[in-house]
Amino acid sequence: MAGAAVLRRSARRVARQVAAAHSLSRSALQQPERLLSSQASPEHGPRGAVSGSELALYPPERVRNFSIIAHVDHGKSTLADRLLELTGTIQKGHGQPQYLDKLQVERERGITVKAQTATMFYRHNTTSQDSDGQKYLLNLIDTPGHVDFSYEVSRSLAACQGALLVVDAAQGVQAQTIANFYLAFESNLSIIPVINKIDQPTADPDNVKEQLKRLFDIDPSEALLTSAKTGKGLEQVLPAVIARIPSPPGKCDSPVRMLLLDSYYDEYKGVICHVAVVDGALRKGDKIASAATGRAYEVLDVGIMHPELTPTGVLYTGQVGYVISGMRSTKEARIGDTLHQAKSTVEPLPGFKPAKHMVFSGLYPADGSDFEALSHAIEKLTCNDASVSVTKETSNALGMGFRCGFLGLLHMDVFHQRLEQEYGAQVISTIPTVPYIFEYGDGSKVQVENPAALASNPGKRVVSCWEPTVIATIIIPSEYVGPVIMLCSERRGEQLEYTFIDAQRALLKYRLPLKEIIVDFYNELKGITSGYATFDYEDSEYQQSDLVKMDILLNGQPVDAMATIVHNQKAQRVGRELVEKLKKFIERQMFEITIQAAIGSKVIARETLSAMRKNVLAKCYGGDITRKKKLLEKQKEGKKRMKRVGSVDIPQEAFHELLKVSNSK
Amino acid sequence: MLRLAFPLVSHLPPWKPPPIRPRPLPARRYAASATATISSSTTSSPPSPPSLPPLSPSSAYVHLPFCRKRCHYCDFPIVAIGSSSGTAPSRVEVADDPRIVDYVRLLLREVAVTRPVSDDGVPLETVFFGGGTPSLVPPLLVAAVLDALRGRFGLSACPEVSIEMDPGTFDAAKLRELVGVGVNRVSLGVQAFQENLLRSCGRAHGVEEVHEAVGIVTACEGLQNWSMDLISSLPNQTEEMWEESLRCTVDARPTHVSVYDLQIEQGTKFGQIHIHLFCAPHIHVLVQFGYTPGVFPLPSDTESANFYKIASKRLSEAGYNHYEISSYSKPGYGCKHNLTYWQNRPFYAFGLGSASYINGVRYSRPRRMKEYAEWVQKLEDGTWSHESRSSDMKDMAMDVVMLSLRTAWGLDLQSFSKSFGKSMALSLCNTFKPFVESGLIIAMDMERQALPHMDFGLDLQNEGDLGSKVAFIRLSDPDGFLLSNELISLAFGVISP
Repeated sequence: MAGAAVLRRSARRVARQVAAAHSLSRSALQQPERLLSSQASPEHGPRGAVSGSELALYPPERVRNFSIIAHVDHGKSTLADRLLELTGTIQKGHGQPQYLDKLQVERERGITVKAQTATMFYRHNTTSQDSDGQKYLLNLIDTPGHVDFSYEVSRSLAACQGALLVVDAAQGVQAQTIANFYLAFESNLSIIPVINKIDQPTADPDNVKEQLKRLFDIDPSEALLTSAKTGKGLEQVLPAVIARIPSPPGKCDSPVRMLLLDSYYDEYKGVICHVAVVDGALRKGDKIASAATGRAYEVLDVGIMHPELTPTGVLYTGQVGYVISGMRSTKEARIGDTLHQAKSTVEPLPGFKPAKHMVFSGLYPADGSDFEALSHAIEKLTCNDASVSVTKETSNALGMGFRCGFLGLLHMDVFHQRLEQEYGAQVISTIPTVPYIFEYGDGSKVQVENPAALASNPGKRVVSCWEPTVIATIIIPSEYVGPVIMLCSERRGEQLEYTFIDAQRALLKYRLPLKEIIVDFYNELKGITSGYATFDYEDSEYQQSDLVKMDILLNGQPVDAMATIVHNQKAQRVGRELVEKLKKFIERQMFEITIQAAIGSKVIARETLSAMRKNVLAKCYGGDITRKKKLLEKQKEGKKRMKRVGSVDIPQEAFHELLKVSNSK
Repeated sequence: MLRLAFPLVSHLPPWKPPPIRPRPLPARRYAASATATISSSTTSSPPSPPSLPPLSPSSAYVHLPFCRKRCHYCDFPIVAIGSSSGTAPSRVEVADDPRIVDYVRLLLREVAVTRPVSDDGVPLETVFFGGGTPSLVPPLLVAAVLDALRGRFGLSACPEVSIEMDPGTFDAAKLRELVGVGVNRVSLGVQAFQENLLRSCGRAHGVEEVHEAVGIVTACEGLQNWSMDLISSLPNQTEEMWEESLRCTVDARPTHVSVYDLQIEQGTKFGQIHIHLFCAPHIHVLVQFGYTPGVFPLPSDTESANFYKIASKRLSEAGYNHYEISSYSKPGYGCKHNLTYWQNRPFYAFGLGSASYINGVRYSRPRRMKEYAEWVQKLEDGTWSHESRSSDMKDMAMDVVMLSLRTAWGLDLQSFSKSFGKSMALSLCNTFKPFVESGLIIAMDMERQALPHMDFGLDLQNEGDLGSKVAFIRLSDPDGFLLSNELISLAFGVISP
């Protein structure tokens, strides 16, 4: 599970809290367990309760599981909203989607993350004579768009048989379109191309069709033209889903077997798991077990997301819904795990793999005394985002803290931001790093997640070092190709592909060291392309590289939290920049401070910060010493907030600023 | 700087204990453990200033808040009463300004209801009329206040009575009158000798008035003791200008010079005004007006530190002792009143926004006239009660350190360690050790001889013996003084971690 899912979950939490606040005002406080079901109240329109016997009407042939994949801002969320409205799952203007944008982190980042894993009932007129039509059960399974979470995308896709590939009619295919297409393609999904936003004046659906043909070999006649905004063409979407996407495979008469898609923690109900039932049926009271942990649970509640939790008592083959089974923490609910009938042995479904942590950073309380508070906040937050790995570590400059592993940069940012926004934690994070591998002459190998942990003078020869790489896809208007190629080569990229997707746009594929893109690559890319570039990446293999550990020393004392691993050829440049930055942000003190960057015992960059000239308050007027005293006390407090290495005080900003040190130029 | 430290001692006005009369110790003291030090510190030789207040104040500060206009750097509680113009001295027109008369009435009421700390009356040794511009107040009203103080608390035989005066607000006759009613020390707010600097900091006078005022003061019979007040680091001030001001100062031969480094206070014309515009969540636009210390047109930190060093050098060469961070005096002319502050002794205070220190409690009066008037009323009605947040030991220790380290006398370690514990004295010394080595702090023995830093280090290792060699520590002049805030706030960190 990953950041976007985390967002979604907390969005739900917000939604629930809002709903709960409503219900509380009306219903009895002593029945908190009713809060969830009570919100499936009349305001959500014609849905009402759904009984288990009703679900029995939908055998796999009448079920379609699909997701919507798109580049960010191409209209995925709006389309999802419209489909939910079209099926009466939510009412226009009444639905809870409005709640979902309330998370600050979503609003600020424009990564709209909606709780769209939802079950819809849809009456489909297969033929014109069949006026009553057939009722279908459609499960829309949300996937996050961002590259960090492609692992999560794939596990969502694992529960689907088809996907709507949404492309903006004006912007055309973008980097995430490509990445998501291949994920869906590799999962053997039926893909329905949807060219959206055709109402825009600059819409050029024919060009998009050509791009789809050229890039993905998609027949132009397959594309649906829609405007989720105006509603144009939407009526074709669900019929296409039913006609073109196969029903879920699965054996109705086998013991129950299901894929765990997602999980989150609810204060009232405990862990809530989203599942796709692959074989058999799941009933309340059943005993189920986890293939990953072997633990057994009793099904306390089961139902569908319609779109709120709606108990049905049962889920049949091919259906998607939720299960509450008394799990205590989301750590027990591993995404991709197979849940199955207890006491039976089953073949686990493909899909389970532990989250791969690609970006590591130390998180420390800004005020050293707040360690407990930070620890508590991290514990709470990881309760709903088990994809973050957390281990305690200690730094000479920052005291006690945590080394956290993230799926990617956005994931890290989001985690950091949520710690601050939702838990009020003031955090200092260290320069993000990637897991390097160092091999020594004596045959020993170490994986380095914290540069400080790597010996500066190991006393044995480093035979080789490896670093993780990614395959990056960049789509840009062709006039920016030059600068982007420059940027990629500065970042030690290796060009794999350079093609044109239409007359104006080029597609570049590069293999890049992950370290080179985790800090400021995307910003810089946006900068040199006037914001036009789109970028996506997928993890690739490790490559051998000439890496060195660079220490930062203040008056000769290494500051462990500032140590970093860099490419040998870039060491000088990065060292210079770090040292200059520090000079800017460390305040003058009563003595001279030398700031050095060193590799082993060799100093590669050096700055001197001269001693403070004056800090004196001349006047204690009329004997009123209280103001002066307050000022001095404030000064004292200021010193206390600083981090101290040797005798040098380092302001927190210095740590924040180091994160921004560029890898390029 | 060492050269300076030693001779200074003899010129420090020795703190004379008030006439000792047998009297019972009142039950209420500042802090139980502090009592012992008071007697011991006054008997030790050389006479060291007591670090804790004796019972009865012998000083009074009187705030006379009226100014013609507010200077651009000023954030004191003042009342701007306006005047004809900044250049023509306005000597008479304010004389019967009802606001002044009304205010002095209030002052007299405050004096009248302020009970002397003890009944057997320690008389006042010093009175200081500060402002504002006290020289705007008619001498008769100043006399009325002095009379009231004399009546209420008694005045010693030869008290120091200071008044702050601004060029352009008085003539020879007015000064004579003031001297006639008992004023014997003038603190002349000259600030600078450059027309453009005076104008740009919003002073209500020009250089001509400065020279005129100096002439009046030096010619005044019966007035030997006067101070020239200067401000360094003014906007656009150059080293040449500063040298010129110092030269003019030395030429005027005041007995005392105060040199204040310009402080940029928020809310003043010079001060920074920050306006946060919230454009969107997390997008703040910061709009700044005003001056930033160290940034043009203010002198850089280096220049400004240099001004301080120049003042120290020039004034020392001219025979002034740098006895406190911002104060210089000819031998025997240190400001006794201000010494009360540095020695952490109690003092009365009267008037708008003024701060008193009585019975171990510091109290600042309301800074707005209306609230001050209401406060006096309450005082008379007996309905005002002190929120007696009398300071605890840590506060006391911080006060002692903060105040004594401002002086050339420095911190008396023995007395400090007696009052606040040996361990605190030790950790203080340990914290300061690197700065003794780097010369920002000077350690001295009982005879006030500077000790080599090695000896200081040795003394520290010998815990039981702290003070066997080291008796005092002081900030060096000018380097230590220049970093006093840093050094004192370090000490605060030791006292109250």
